[in-house]
Amino acid sequence: MAIKSAADDQLAVERVLTGDISGFEEIVRRWQSPLVNLAYRFCHDRGRAEEMAQEAFLRAYRNLKQWRKEAAFSTWMFALATNFYRSELRRIPVHIPIDEIREPADPRAQDGGFEEEDRDRAVRRAVFALPQKYREALVLFYFHEMDVPAAARSLGMPEGTFKARLFRGREILRAKLPQWLTVSRLKEA
Amino acid sequence: MPDSAMPEAILPQSMVSATGMTHERDRMDMGGSMNNDELDRILSKQDEIKPSSGFALSVMEAVREDAAVPPPIPFPWKRALPVLLVAALTLIVVVVTGTAAIVQFSRGDMPSQVASSLRDLLPAYARGSAGAGLAWTAVALLAAFVCVKLSMNLASGRT
Repeated sequence: MAIKSAADDQLAVERVLTGDISGFEEIVRRWQSPLVNLAYRFCHDRGRAEEMAQEAFLRAYRNLKQWRKEAAFSTWMFALATNFYRSELRRIPVHIPIDEIREPADPRAQDGGFEEEDRDRAVRRAVFALPQKYREALVLFYFHEMDVPAAARSLGMPEGTFKARLFRGREILRAKLPQWLTVSRLKEA
Repeated sequence: MPDSAMPEAILPQSMVSATGMTHERDRMDMGGSMNNDELDRILSKQDEIKPSSGFALSVMEAVREDAAVPPPIPFPWKRALPVLLVAALTLIVVVVTGTAAIVQFSRGDMPSQVASSLRDLLPAYARGSAGAGLAWTAVALLAAFVCVKLSMNLASGRT
């Protein structure tokens, strides 16, 4: 499936480069969901995620000639999109205050059935309280289904550096999480 | 946007870790410590959003608009290069000649005729006498005219 998709991407890119823009529509339809979801993991805002993904596609279109075919088209596009998302978030950062890490409880949790889900959601939101370089490493690692080489390629950094950031990010998260969750719980009380 | 505001758009994504970790949950207190496996399990299971129905069309519209914009006019290096070279050479000649003249002037080994004419010229310029001022204004206007004419010629594609 991945090989077929890579071949399809290459054909579509060749069509676009010969002037057939409709080839790019295939690429957009194939990759819209991953690119929007990657943006969403960076900003946690649906509207902004779509805007960022649209701009990433536009940049990919403008720079198609720069794809050297050494790596899969998707690898190149993810690296381009990640780079753009990171600079976009440096421009307008996402800030979730520590006391808002624990979101309002799901009303269905009254019966106790969803408490664990609330906790998990709070942990995911806590990633946004990390310093940017660790947050990026965690976001990319889980987006690429824990594939370190793929995540490191997307961030354009050596695997060693990526692993160090991942390790440090998890350490901070594990160390601070109980404290953050307690603060937000006290705030709620 | 809070997650609760988009119940249809956000779907929970179940992912089993690459390390073969299962979804079996070891109970953990809200404030308790958390191991890496637990963290992996929670962070792998991210909310997933579906792009809105018009997203692909909106991207393609932006792409078509972008494609319709004519490419920027490349800088006419072929035409500009000789002019730039001449300008650079002139600048070098002026700087070298000027520096040599200043050195000679300061050493006092300049021919007395030239030295005296320079002495005459500099105070006159410094005082802003009408004649010298007029000459410099004329030179500046001429240079400006040549520059504008040349730029217009370059922009219109004429040589």
